[in-house]
Amino acid sequence: MTIAATTAEVKGTAWMRGFRRNLAGYLFLLPWLVGFLGLTLGPALGSLYLSFTDFDLLRDPRWAGAANYVRIFTADPKFAESMHVTFVYVVLSVPLKLTFALMVALLLNRGMAGLSLYRAMFYLPSLLGASVAIAVLWRQLFAGNGLVNQVILMVFGIQGPSWISNPDYALYTLVILSIWQFGSPMIIFLAGLRQIPQDMYEAASIDGASKWRKFYKITLPMLTPVIFFNAVVQTIEAFKAFTPAFIISEGTGGPIDSTLFYTLYLYQEAFGYFRMGYAAALAWVLVAIVALFTAFSFLTSRYWVHYDE
Amino acid sequence: MTKPGMNRRTLLKAGAGAAGLAMLGAAGPALAADKRIRMYWWGGKERADRTIATNKLYMQANAGTNIDGETLAWGDYWPRLATQTAGRNAPDVIQMDYRYIFEYARREALLPLDQFVGKSLNLGDFSQAAIDSGKVDGKIYGISLGGNTAATLYDRVAFETAGVKAPDFDTSWADLAKLSVELAKASKKPGYYGVMDAGGLESVLECWLRTRGQELYTPDGKLGFGEKDITEWFAYWADLRKAGGCVTPDLQALDKQAPENNMLTLGKAAIGFAHSNQLVAYQALNKSKLNLTSYPTGGAGGKPGQYLKPSMLFSISARTKEPEEAAKILSYYVNDIDAGKALGVERGVPASSTVLKAVMPDLDELGKAAAEYVGAMSSRVGALPPPPPPGAGEIQVLIRRINEQVGFGRASVADGAKQFVTEATTILGRG
Repeated sequence: MTIAATTAEVKGTAWMRGFRRNLAGYLFLLPWLVGFLGLTLGPALGSLYLSFTDFDLLRDPRWAGAANYVRIFTADPKFAESMHVTFVYVVLSVPLKLTFALMVALLLNRGMAGLSLYRAMFYLPSLLGASVAIAVLWRQLFAGNGLVNQVILMVFGIQGPSWISNPDYALYTLVILSIWQFGSPMIIFLAGLRQIPQDMYEAASIDGASKWRKFYKITLPMLTPVIFFNAVVQTIEAFKAFTPAFIISEGTGGPIDSTLFYTLYLYQEAFGYFRMGYAAALAWVLVAIVALFTAFSFLTSRYWVHYDE
Repeated sequence: MTKPGMNRRTLLKAGAGAAGLAMLGAAGPALAADKRIRMYWWGGKERADRTIATNKLYMQANAGTNIDGETLAWGDYWPRLATQTAGRNAPDVIQMDYRYIFEYARREALLPLDQFVGKSLNLGDFSQAAIDSGKVDGKIYGISLGGNTAATLYDRVAFETAGVKAPDFDTSWADLAKLSVELAKASKKPGYYGVMDAGGLESVLECWLRTRGQELYTPDGKLGFGEKDITEWFAYWADLRKAGGCVTPDLQALDKQAPENNMLTLGKAAIGFAHSNQLVAYQALNKSKLNLTSYPTGGAGGKPGQYLKPSMLFSISARTKEPEEAAKILSYYVNDIDAGKALGVERGVPASSTVLKAVMPDLDELGKAAAEYVGAMSSRVGALPPPPPPGAGEIQVLIRRINEQVGFGRASVADGAKQFVTEATTILGRG
């Protein structure tokens, strides 16, 4: 009994000691934890409830069952339209951005002088990317007599169209904006490249492998976990993209809804027409779609991602 | 070891002292002012300056009241007002628009003001029409801060140098098309046109319909016109586009219905469509001299297309803790001569004839021009249209989108018109 008591005591004190040792950690975690529960999880669950209601902000929400979801999938042409715009954006911007980021990372990985300076410079657009100022700058660049057209006029002598206000081109200016913000995947690629053991390249060189062959047979396979990570993160980011379209079209998604991102449509429903319940349902559909995409990526990853075991 | 400790302690003391001072500072006005009123309006800097100055005058005359001003641009204004109203935290005095007053009043977010009339709220100098313009379902929910009406703004210099007769009160829709093409040709500037492409602009469409004896919406909230009418409308602009009279669609798409991106301001067209009280804002952004006149008329046998409307109203939140004081402030805004002088005609022409008479001599040239224009129009306008039904905001966007589809060649005029009627009917049916 005494022995049991002592073990319990010891266990208790060990647990206490453990807790006390980690107490500081939990305390430091507290602000985030409170924020996560109060500002992220709570409102998210609230919006799940609202997605089953009619809610115009002014009157109390009225229960509507699945009506919002039924409408999204059966009677809302704008849902399909905005999904289409978002998919085009995701499918174009993610691979292009990753390719560009990898190219720059390979270039920077050749051990040139002043690497950290270049790294910082290339990263800068990503820091500014989501900002309003850059979107405004983009609008000026691609407008009718913006810088882009002035250059075209000088070099080719042609008067270019107003890129951002033409439904044929507006979305692609947003894709270019996204590619320009290649900084954060580039940094991750660079770190991944650094981790590939140099002796592999040396062995391949001794065997007489060409540069391309080394890239295809060593760099790419060794980099697949990083590519996978970047692809998942960038895809989610692209689905969530809002600011550039909002600023460049001034919230209209125009011309002719050509830049009506899904998130922008959601915003219009919520804050333009005060259909909060419907907008909440749209948001949860987006969550489901992004989750599906991510799950699909993870399922297929076992066939092409090589982890170093 | 002692030194850093000392430092920390001194720092703490200093901090506590500063906090105490700050509290003292905050306690001063809080004690003196037992009535706190929050006032909320949309608009630019000019309006903010004038409003804050007026509030200062009121606070000087009424010790014990403190008015806190909050202001945002139009686009951000409504989401925030809706959010605050939902959070039971709406401002006491709210600047309202004719489009939104019905929604807010019918959802019981606003206070009926009839109980104050003749007591704290003096409307003795208001015409019946001016009082009625703030009524919803027979009760007063808003007080007009000024009247305005639609106005064609044009670049006077462009017309003079081109030698083309500028539009005036008698210019019909057909005349407008003709003189726009003439001006575009005479100006000899590539990329410069006679008029903006207003085919997507609800306010211009409304005026055009009214000159034909129709309305945007019927009193029971249905479309006030048919496919045939809207076909004619889109065709008018398609023809004008083809003739080179109005701007190209990719230029017009830059216009987000703000003075700073209007075709007139961007130097793409000589004529823009706006409202009379916006003359001041437009002129501030335009280097060339602007003038204003009416929207085009229906020609011989045409009906009046325009109407006088309150450009802005003041309403009181249904949940205010100081209804009497808020009503007193409203009364001050529309009746006091000093307040009228501080406000000028920036929000529109004052509804009170006494205030207007007192303010007129002090107005600058632009203010006078706007006030005189509204005066000249008062004999040429029709009745207020029926209130816009729920969904009107969406249809406003739809008109613009269909006009773009036609402009960019994505749809023929006939298909665009058909699509418009189908979609608009769906939107109105959903409510």
